[in-house]
Amino acid sequence: MKTLAVDFLLKETPIAIAIIDTKLNFINYSNQWQSDFTLDKTDLRGKFIFDVVIDTPILFKNTIKSCLANKKEYINSGQKFTLLDGKVKWLKWKISPWKNDNNILSGIMIFLEDITRDQKELELLHKAEEVARIGCWELDLQTNSVNWTKTTKDIHEVNEDYIINLEKGINFYKEGVHRHNISKLVNDAITKGTPFDTELIIVTAKGNEVWVRAKGEVESVNKIPVRLVGTFQDIDQRKKLELAHVDLLERLKITTQTTKIGIWEYNLITNELVWDNEMYNIFGISKKEFTGVFEAWSSTIHPADREKTLQATEDAINGKKDFDEEFRIKLQDGSIRYIKGLSKTIIDLNGKAVKMTGVNWDITELRSTELKLESSAKSFTKTFDNAAIGMALVSPELKWLKVNKSLTKSLGYTEKELLKMKTTDITYPEDLENSSSFKSKVFNGKKNNYQLQKRYFHKNGDIVHAVIGVTPVKDLDGKTTHAITQFLDITDRIRSEKKLKDLLKVTKSQNESLMNFAHIVSHNLRSHSTNLTMLTTFLTKEKKEEERLNIIRMIMNAAESLSETISHLNDVVQVKTTPLKNLQRINILKTIHGIEKSIKGLIEKEDATIKLSISSSHFASAVPAYLESIFLNILTNALKYRSKDRLPVIEVKSFLKEDNILITFSDNGQGIDLKRHGDKIFGMYKTFHEHKDAKGIGLFITKNQIESMGGSINIESVVDKGSTFFIELKQI
Amino acid sequence: MKNITTCCIIDDDPIFIYGTKRIMREINFAENIIVYNNGQEALDGLYALIKDEDSMPEIMFLDLNMPIMSGWEFLDEFKNYTSNNSKKTIIYIISSSVDPRDLERVKEYNEVTNYILKPITPYDLTNILDSTLV
Repeated sequence: MKTLAVDFLLKETPIAIAIIDTKLNFINYSNQWQSDFTLDKTDLRGKFIFDVVIDTPILFKNTIKSCLANKKEYINSGQKFTLLDGKVKWLKWKISPWKNDNNILSGIMIFLEDITRDQKELELLHKAEEVARIGCWELDLQTNSVNWTKTTKDIHEVNEDYIINLEKGINFYKEGVHRHNISKLVNDAITKGTPFDTELIIVTAKGNEVWVRAKGEVESVNKIPVRLVGTFQDIDQRKKLELAHVDLLERLKITTQTTKIGIWEYNLITNELVWDNEMYNIFGISKKEFTGVFEAWSSTIHPADREKTLQATEDAINGKKDFDEEFRIKLQDGSIRYIKGLSKTIIDLNGKAVKMTGVNWDITELRSTELKLESSAKSFTKTFDNAAIGMALVSPELKWLKVNKSLTKSLGYTEKELLKMKTTDITYPEDLENSSSFKSKVFNGKKNNYQLQKRYFHKNGDIVHAVIGVTPVKDLDGKTTHAITQFLDITDRIRSEKKLKDLLKVTKSQNESLMNFAHIVSHNLRSHSTNLTMLTTFLTKEKKEEERLNIIRMIMNAAESLSETISHLNDVVQVKTTPLKNLQRINILKTIHGIEKSIKGLIEKEDATIKLSISSSHFASAVPAYLESIFLNILTNALKYRSKDRLPVIEVKSFLKEDNILITFSDNGQGIDLKRHGDKIFGMYKTFHEHKDAKGIGLFITKNQIESMGGSINIESVVDKGSTFFIELKQI
Repeated sequence: MKNITTCCIIDDDPIFIYGTKRIMREINFAENIIVYNNGQEALDGLYALIKDEDSMPEIMFLDLNMPIMSGWEFLDEFKNYTSNNSKKTIIYIISSSVDPRDLERVKEYNEVTNYILKPITPYDLTNILDSTLV
């Protein structure tokens, strides 16, 4: 019975036990053994162990042999074996020699356990530990000893054989707040039994700072803590990322605050809308008022923009297109703001839109600047096109970029023609140099406005006078890209100015000649009258008859001179006072022939030659008596001041010159030093030659006569070579 | 009463020359009277005299309006002639001109002592004589 009971117990024990004899045949075994280690389901007793046992490592066999030989007990508390077929098996055994009552070895008893599954779990756990960088630790409060798992040691960067105690462990934490915290937490756990879970920095054995998460649980017996166990996790990367993230968020917050960008998140499933502070500012709503639903937001949108904006929102939710819109909102105070919105829709794994997140910012200022710019651009274009003065945009290469109507009108070219030209193409040549220095001032200078008066050629060849005002236009880099040119056509003004100047000149010269005339008159009259006064004084005193006669003769001369002077003055006054009304068309050639005839005697006496080269079709608009007087005076002068060394030759020619007729008289006479006398050649009572008949009145009267008929007279002369008079008169 | 050795009249008006010479003789103005009829004649004549300092006139009466060379031109030329001459000839402009422009212009010539309006009188000449001989 005893044996039976023992057998039963052996059979039913949940441990794999085998009892074998010295020949290694089964004496007995547990059911567990049979199910765990054999395929043979029949009775194993008497069977050779290695015939029925499967998958055992060689060491197992050898250990059994050793046990038999040495009669010693062999314990394997768990070992990993790789079997011949590559399978991994963890086995744990106890092999003991079994002796009979006589203490003689009669067999061995084998406890064998397949711990492969447990070990695998453990191994996985360790692997997981390594991968997750989570280690474990244990503090036995009774022995005060500390255990660290491999990963925990790895995290601390110590060797596997490192021996640790509580103080050492605490000292791994970074000095300061970290070490202080862990000390307090461990202390609280030990004394009060409070668990902890904290994130702190340790300094590893190699001196690296690492963020770790330390978790501790307390095991108590009878409410007295006996053990602390916990995990120890390397969270350095996560923590650093987290810190960086916090940093980033902080920065983002500052950015969005300062740039006034509002951020929102809209949960499409719960219809919950979350705004950051800036959103409230932008929309002018206080946090309390905001209901946090989509409708609250959409109601702020300006009615005119609502449909478009809601459509865009729908498109974004449906994943058609991310939201990217400008829309107006109406604030509670009624003011309108322009908002720019961007959003991103977040889709779950099934492709369903779950969330939208986005930003809004106020672009009112931008928009209003844009609008202002647009309207100023518009008004500029309008001004440009319709300006009464010419306007143009000119490139730094001086090409016309844009011209308005007034400018085309002033210059006579069409817009198309001008745009193909440079401004210098039609600049008056004498103004090119000025224009070029002006250009470099405009394009390199610092002023906002430059002015220049210059001349252009009209398409018809006329000169166009203009005052141009130029404003350089600069790009963001401060480089002048083009210039706005205002073109004030002052041609008419210049023309009338010129007319006025001419008129002024005539008036001035007339005034001057009148002055001269007055003085000459007074001078000459005075000299004669003083002579007469003096002579009569002498006469009253003079006793000698002979001398008296002499004085009387002189008085007569003086009286004669006086009368002659008065008659000259009469001539002059007559010329000056004769209005331009007796002008007739007079044939030049006929007039000259008439004069020739009247001075035939003089010409013959001087043995002079007169050559005429005058077209019979040439006419002058003149007073007949004046023209005769002029020709007579010039011709007789030529004869009077002839050279003593040669016979006089006088050439008279006529030319048509626009509306005028030019008549020239060239002689080979004494000539006049024009450098000395040029300014007074036509002056009154100016004589330049020692000639008894020189009175200094002829050319004076001639000049006055010509000018009174709207003509002009000039002279070219070389001493001892001859003189040429140029007389210009009107044809009509 | 002392008088001047040589005086010079530059004028183209024979009647004026006659009258002036006559008055000069009456008041015994100068021992010698040189007459030139225009500026050029005077320049040529004086140029011949310039080598002999003593024969240079002490006083000169210069008309302004003359043919060939006017009194103005003469003054401009004469300046150059006498620059090195220690003995300065006193020059009086004597003219019928009452033109203020002429009077202004005379002031520009330092060589000119005074401007006398024609006709010249015995009183004028006596004053000149007095101021010259002092």
